[in-house]
Amino acid sequence: MEQQHAIEQFYYREARMLDDRRFLAWLELLTEDVRYVIPTRHIRLGHLPARGGDEFHLVERELGGAEEAALREDRLPLLTIRAKRALAPNAWAENPPARTRRFITNVEIEDDDACAGEVRVLSNFMLSYSRHGADNHLYSGQRQDRLRRSEDGFRIAERRIVLDWNVVTAPTLALFF
Amino acid sequence: MTCGIEDLVSADATLVSRRAFTDEAVYKLEKERIFGRAWLYLAHESELKASGDFVTTYMGETPVIVARGPDGRINASVNSCTHRGVAVCHVERGHASRFICPYHNWTFGMDGRLLAIPQQGKIERPVDKARLGLRQVPRVESYAGLIFGSFDPDVAPLEQYLGNMRFYLDNYFARFADGVEVVGAPHKWRLAANWKLPVENQLGDVGHGPFLHGAVLGGSDAIAEIEAYGFNMVPEPGHGAAIRLLPPETPLASRMWGSENGSASAFSAETQAFLLDTQRQMEDRLGSVHARIKGLTYGVYPNFSFLWANSTIRVSHPRGPGKVEYWSWWVVPAGAPESVKRELQGVYNGFFGPGGLLEQEDSDAWAQQYAGSAIDYMDDHPYYYGLGAGEEEVHPLLPGVAGSCYNEHYARQFYLRWQRDIAEGAAR
Repeated sequence: MEQQHAIEQFYYREARMLDDRRFLAWLELLTEDVRYVIPTRHIRLGHLPARGGDEFHLVERELGGAEEAALREDRLPLLTIRAKRALAPNAWAENPPARTRRFITNVEIEDDDACAGEVRVLSNFMLSYSRHGADNHLYSGQRQDRLRRSEDGFRIAERRIVLDWNVVTAPTLALFF
Repeated sequence: MTCGIEDLVSADATLVSRRAFTDEAVYKLEKERIFGRAWLYLAHESELKASGDFVTTYMGETPVIVARGPDGRINASVNSCTHRGVAVCHVERGHASRFICPYHNWTFGMDGRLLAIPQQGKIERPVDKARLGLRQVPRVESYAGLIFGSFDPDVAPLEQYLGNMRFYLDNYFARFADGVEVVGAPHKWRLAANWKLPVENQLGDVGHGPFLHGAVLGGSDAIAEIEAYGFNMVPEPGHGAAIRLLPPETPLASRMWGSENGSASAFSAETQAFLLDTQRQMEDRLGSVHARIKGLTYGVYPNFSFLWANSTIRVSHPRGPGKVEYWSWWVVPAGAPESVKRELQGVYNGFFGPGGLLEQEDSDAWAQQYAGSAIDYMDDHPYYYGLGAGEEEVHPLLPGVAGSCYNEHYARQFYLRWQRDIAEGAAR
């Protein structure tokens, strides 16, 4: 329970940080070796040998593998460029900035590897995005995180974002989920 | 239409009406006379290696299945059952032996032929199945692995349609000894923009780079190189190839594909060796002019684009005058080791695709240009496409008509061809 509460509080603080556009502060929540991935998601044929079973329409099979170019595959250097750029006056897709609100739910501790000092956590998100006038968008998906414990709280070592879309209908995926 | 087609583009194409991007009547003409007739990119041959492999795509707004049939030939069928119109394939790609319409289970082969009508045994009179196959795209041809289709049975052969564009396509698609392959399904995203806006951008609008993308590219050597050696080539009206023609003495490592302002030095030794070796082989095979060319952006009329340095094929699928579904494929040298391919991924998806650093800025600009095109009281304020007008010339080494990297002749020639195409009605 204590662990669950601590992780939820971490996620809420993180979400508020991003909605408040404190992107440089958010970078401090990442590990040096962070992986931040949004795989593609495709509409595929069911896996015939598994017909009639739960494996027939496995979500994982819809997600692009390592050999495919993901929608995003960021490490710390690229995430840092994105964060700093979002605060530059001539980053025309970020200035004026979007008004965002992140809702994090269904926080589920999947696997707690105390020896490695890491915990795997699933959560769902909705992200409301508004930038130009009445052009408002809602993102939804799942986050598959690997959080690493540090002396002063959790750090994000890996975040894999599973979108519910095949065709992206929001203006950009170049933001932090 | 509240203005005539002749009012959309001025005689010298230095002026293009905002209505060219927003008018419903113009859009209907585009679907009939451009998307209904031109060669449209369908798929890459590497996506259809074996009989039964298929991908689904669109020609304009018409859904098509592109498949390698039982006889090994690539064909394209309209994805709509000939019985009641339901799509017979609802996935993006895969391998199959037949397509079954969900509604009454009419069953079609991978070449579009109607194989079975399940109800046929319950009725007495025979049905002529030969007449009820999926509608075939009458012309399907490939160039350098790129498969195009046309709904016009009388369209000029693809090679002739591409004309001088083949030289620039060869510079990339014939560069690798083992050819190229498309990896995975495309990135797809919708934008509130007209389909021509991304096309125009990638026909040759390298001039926006230092400005729109100032926060990413500002002060980089890439801009200086483009301004010093860049050309906007118009190989044929409507097609475009923005390239750099480097001085002959440029070191191999600086003229090779895979290196943009020294970026290759960040790659592993294995990847750098692969890129250098590829460049050496390419220069032996394609010769001294190709050896000096580094591409930037390409366009094949009407809606195919290619980014040379970032290795991505893109197609701008129209969805009405004010919406576009943009598809973007990652392309790799087929013979590269897996580790090299992995390292090259970031050159594409770090910058392009819906999450790319540069493409997020382009996507926003296209949507904002559409918004600006759709406002009222602006018929007397067409867009100005006159930069560099009259400065074009013939280049001794490069096929087509050459302009400097800020010359907008690529767009002028595109819109002249576009206007001519939508004006040509039944008389054609």
